[in-house]
Amino acid sequence: MLFNTITFAVFLPIVLVLYWLATQRNLRHQNVLLLVASYFFYGCWDVRFLLLLVFSTALDYYTGIRIYEAENKKHKKWWLMTSIGINLGFLGIFKYYNFFVESFADGLSLVGVPTHFWFLDVILPVGISFYTFHGISYIVDIYRDKISPERNFVNYSVFVSFFPLLVAGPIERATHLLPQIRNKRIFSSQQFNDGLRQILWGLFKKVVIADNCGVFVDDIFNHSGQQSGSSLVLGAILFSFQLYGDFSGYSDIALGTARLFGIELLRNFSFPYFSRDIAEFWRRWHMSLTTWFKDYVYIPLGGSKASKWLNVRNVFIIFLLSGIWHGASWKFVCWAMINALYFLPLLLSNKNRKHLEIVAYDRTFPTVKEVWQMVATFMLTVFSRIFFRADDVHHAFAFIKGIFNETLFTIPEMVPTRVLVLIAIFMGIEWSGRRNGYAIAHTLQKAPKPLQWSFYYGIIFAIFYFSNSGQQFIYFQF
Amino acid sequence: MKKTAFKLFLFLLPIALAWGCVEYFYRSVPNNYSVKYDYMEAHADEVETLLLGSSHCFYALDPEYFSGQVFNLSNISQTLYFDALLFDQYFGRMPKLKRVVFCIEYSNLSHKENTREDVFRKYYYQNYLHLDVPIVSDFDPKKYSLAFTRSLEQTWESYERYDFFGTIVDCNPNGWGNNYPKVYRYEPSYNVRERLEAHEDGSVDFSANAARLNRIIVQCKNRNVEVVIVSLPQSQLYTSGLNRKKLNLIFATCHQFAAQNDNVRYLNLFEDRRFTDQDFFDADHLNDVGAVKCSKVVDEFLQQK
Repeated sequence: MLFNTITFAVFLPIVLVLYWLATQRNLRHQNVLLLVASYFFYGCWDVRFLLLLVFSTALDYYTGIRIYEAENKKHKKWWLMTSIGINLGFLGIFKYYNFFVESFADGLSLVGVPTHFWFLDVILPVGISFYTFHGISYIVDIYRDKISPERNFVNYSVFVSFFPLLVAGPIERATHLLPQIRNKRIFSSQQFNDGLRQILWGLFKKVVIADNCGVFVDDIFNHSGQQSGSSLVLGAILFSFQLYGDFSGYSDIALGTARLFGIELLRNFSFPYFSRDIAEFWRRWHMSLTTWFKDYVYIPLGGSKASKWLNVRNVFIIFLLSGIWHGASWKFVCWAMINALYFLPLLLSNKNRKHLEIVAYDRTFPTVKEVWQMVATFMLTVFSRIFFRADDVHHAFAFIKGIFNETLFTIPEMVPTRVLVLIAIFMGIEWSGRRNGYAIAHTLQKAPKPLQWSFYYGIIFAIFYFSNSGQQFIYFQF
Repeated sequence: MKKTAFKLFLFLLPIALAWGCVEYFYRSVPNNYSVKYDYMEAHADEVETLLLGSSHCFYALDPEYFSGQVFNLSNISQTLYFDALLFDQYFGRMPKLKRVVFCIEYSNLSHKENTREDVFRKYYYQNYLHLDVPIVSDFDPKKYSLAFTRSLEQTWESYERYDFFGTIVDCNPNGWGNNYPKVYRYEPSYNVRERLEAHEDGSVDFSANAARLNRIIVQCKNRNVEVVIVSLPQSQLYTSGLNRKKLNLIFATCHQFAAQNDNVRYLNLFEDRRFTDQDFFDADHLNDVGAVKCSKVVDEFLQQK
C-alpha cells in the first residue's frame, strides 16, 4: 500500500475514525489498533515478511529487558552484541550477502583463483533497513542507560511498526517516540489540520514533482549513450529534484499522517537545496539517518573530539556506511566517497559548521554570494547523484564521459518545459516557507479562508491532474 | 473534534462533487470496451470466428473482409491474460463458434500480467466487460471507481475528444479499430524506438502464456473448434530492431503449437514484405488500407481448411 494511492486514501480515514472514535480514546485500545493497522499496512506488501518484522520486534523487546536486568557489564554487552548481531545478520543476509559474495568472487577471479559461490534468490523485505535501525537505537540506548526498556510489548511493537514510518522512515529514536506511545494522546484540531496540510504538500512533491521528473529521468538515463551532454546534465538535475520530491514528499506524508494520530515524528528534511555548503546540505538531508549515524557510529568512534586525522577517518567511515546502507552496490560506495571528499576541505578548514541557520533567515531574498553558494552546492550533489541513479559504476562513468564534450553547450534534445515550470513554482513555494517545518505550514495563514482554501484546492487539482499512475517511492528499495 | 470534522466535510464537498462528475463521465460515455461488451452480450450466439489480441489485431483485422460471422474482440495492449479471460467468459455462449484467432507478436508470449500495460486497463475489463479479473483486488478502490484509474489530465483529454468528435469509441461495430487512416500515417521511424522499448521485456519465459494457450486449445478441441495463431505484419524498421533470438523462439513456439495439436494452425505474416511502409500507420500498426489487405490474407488462410 503506497501513500500516493487511493487504497491508502481509504485505509487512513477508516483507521482514523476507529482511532479517535471507536476506541473511546482509550490508550491501550488505540495502541492495539495502531499495531493491527500497521501490520495490515505492512502485510499488504508481502505477508511473509511480517513474520520477520514480528521476530525482529520480539528480539529487541526481549534483549532490551535482558540488557537492563543484566547483573554486570559483561552480560549487558553480551546481550547487546547478540541483538545487534542478529539484527545486522538479517540485514546482511537479505541485503548484502550477494553483494559481498560477488565482490569476493570477483576479487579472487582477478588473481586467477576459480570460484563457485552460492547466491541467494531472495527479495529485500520492505523497510528492513529502517526498522533494523529503530531496533538497534533502542537497545543501544538501554545499554547506555539513556532509557529503561519498554515492558509493554504492544507499545514497543507500535514504536517499531507504526505504519507511517515503517517502510521508509524517518528513523525514530525510542527517547522521542516511545514516550508519545506510552502517554495519552489528546486530539488537537491545530495538529490535525497541520497533519493534513503536510500530507497535501508531501503528495504534491511526490506526485507532481518527483513522478513527472521521473519520466524524463528514466528516458535520459536509460538512453544515456544517445544523449547530448546538455541532455545528460538536464537528466542529472531532474533526478535531483525527483529524489528530493520523492523522499521528502514521503517524509512529509509520514509526518503528516502521524500528526493525525497525535504523534510527532522526527523531521527528515529541512530545505536541503537552500544549503550553502555540503556540510549544511547533510545537516538538512535525510536528517534522521545522518543523526543516527552521528549518535551510534561517529561519536563512539571518537567523533570530532579525536585528532584531526581520526576525525577525517570517522567522516569517511560514516559516509561509507551511509553509502552501503543505501544499497549493496559499488555505485553507492562511489556516491558516498564523492560526498566524503566534498566534505573534507570544510572539515580540514574547520568550516563544516559555518551555516547553521537557514539562508536569508531575516531577509526575503538571498545575496548574490548566497545564490552562488546554493547553486554550487546543488550542482555538487547533482554530480554525485549520477552514481546514485546510474545502473552501475560503469554506467555512471559512461554518463559522466558523455557530459564532457562539445554537445554540453547545445540545447538539450528534449526540454520538458512543463516540468521545469512546475519545479520553478515548487522551489518558489519552498523558498517562501523555508523558515517553517515544511513549506506550506504557514502559507496564506492570515489570508481570508476562501483564498486559503483556493490555494489548497489548487494543490489538490495539481495532484490529480499531473498524477502519473502511482509510481513507487525510490527509498522503498532501501 | 466535531468542528474540525465539519470543516473537513465542507472542504471535501467540492472535491466529492468533482469526483462524481468524472465518475459519471466514465460510466456513461461508451468506449471500445463497453461497445465490445454490448456486441458480445447481444450477438455471442451468432459468432463463428472470434479474433483476440492486442492493438496489432485491433487495427489489422477488419471482420468486414472475412467470411462468415466474425467479431474482433481484441483491444489496445490486450494481453493473453485478458484474451484468456474473455475466451472463458464467452466460450460457452458461442454455440456456432468454428474458430478462435489469437494474434501473437513479439511481446504477447512473454508478457506478465499486472505490469505497466495493465495498470488501468484491468479496471476497464472488470467494469466495462464485467470480467472477474483476479489481479484486481476486492480491497482496491479503483475496482469500484473508474474516476481514479487515470489522471485528471488524461480524463480531460478524453472529455475533449468526446466534446469534439461526439464519441471516444475507436472501433466500428465489428470491433475493428478504425481510427488509423492512411492519410494520417507516420513514417515507421517516427516511433520505432518507443515501440521497440515498449515491447521488449527482456524475458523469454513463455510458460504462463503457453499454459493459457494450451488450456484453450484443449477446450476448443473438445468442441471441435479450430485455433488459429497469427503473427501479424510489422514494418521492416521495427522487425530489424527486435531481438532475433527471441523472435525465432516465438515463431518456433507457435509452430510447435500447430505441430502438436491437429486443431491448431499457424500463419506467420510478421515479416511478410507484401506489406510495405505505406500499409502501416506507424512502426507496428497497420493503417486502414493495410488492414484490408491483411484481413483478406488472413481470411484466405482461414478458408483453406
